[in-house]
Amino acid sequence: MVSEMKRACSKIVLLFLGAFFLLLFTGGEVSPADASVPIAIIKKVSGSATIVRQGHNISATKGLEIWEKDTLCTGRNGSVGIVFNDDTFLSLGPGTVLVIDEFVFAPKQGKFSIVIRMLKGTAAYLSGLISKLSPESAHFKTPTASIGIRGTKFVAKVEGD
Amino acid sequence: MKRWSSVLAVSIFFCLLIGCATHRAKRDLIVLLPDPDGKDPAITVTTKGGSQILDKPGYATEVEDLNKAPIPPRPVNENEIKKVFGPALSAQPDLVGRFLLLILYFEHDTTKLTPESKNQLPEVLRNIKNRKSNEIYVVGHTDLLGTEAYNIELSSRRANYVRDLLVSSGIKPSILFVSFYGKARPLVPTKNEVPEPRNRRVEVIVR
Repeated sequence: MVSEMKRACSKIVLLFLGAFFLLLFTGGEVSPADASVPIAIIKKVSGSATIVRQGHNISATKGLEIWEKDTLCTGRNGSVGIVFNDDTFLSLGPGTVLVIDEFVFAPKQGKFSIVIRMLKGTAAYLSGLISKLSPESAHFKTPTASIGIRGTKFVAKVEGD
Repeated sequence: MKRWSSVLAVSIFFCLLIGCATHRAKRDLIVLLPDPDGKDPAITVTTKGGSQILDKPGYATEVEDLNKAPIPPRPVNENEIKKVFGPALSAQPDLVGRFLLLILYFEHDTTKLTPESKNQLPEVLRNIKNRKSNEIYVVGHTDLLGTEAYNIELSSRRANYVRDLLVSSGIKPSILFVSFYGKARPLVPTKNEVPEPRNRRVEVIVR
């Protein structure tokens, strides 16, 4: 019994060390926000859709949490819809690649920021509380343009390569 | 909530573009849709070459090149919106459970509600209490008439007036977050020193 516990403990220690070294070696940028905090949830998925997080591919499923810096990708017939913590709605059509560069929603500290960068495809965006409380902090970027958002709904198509 | 399909379909602009597909340059397309919160929506699209404001639902701008300004807004056919953005739009999450946005309006230079808002007040309070929220934002604003400093103070008084109304109707003070922006965030953009009743307001956002 004791030796089993010992083995379980060493497993845990190994895991912790592994994670520590992973963080040490993969961390290029140091972001002020804690990138491992969920900032949105997948509400709808259809066809093929993937989240790319720190180099790993995660299959997009309903209920999956999204983190800051995640890249959202959809396949030829995929689509995905997510809701951020501030009630911003973002959905992607097929063949889309989009990155969540920034998301901060801390009303008590007066901190607000949402920056989304779309590389290609189609997306629909319905602004949430960050746009209502701090419109200058909400930006949607394409390779050519930056969209400033004042509490509203729009769709964007980016022709990728 | 206004459905996006109620956008009026105007000219068949899109078909013209797609007709020249072989010679068409790659373009980013941005279309403004009706705001389900029912308020005046607006977005600004900015490239290195310039900016374009979209403030009419059903209108779009396009960007051909990052060094060129976005093109002037043009109306977009409803069928083309469906064709290009159908899958993205059908993946939009449900509006059920989304925050509620209520606006109360004030008489010029006062913390006095307009007659219309005064009449709506009982229903507004009822809506708020029914949601049993634990997070309510009360945000005060003014129009662009007057100095920044004066309007900061006025918007603060308006926000606190509404906060007090909510508290006296039974809402817990601890769930209320009060902020105010003076003349900095008009709902309807105007030139400086222009009076605009729709900007003299307090927005109540109920989660």
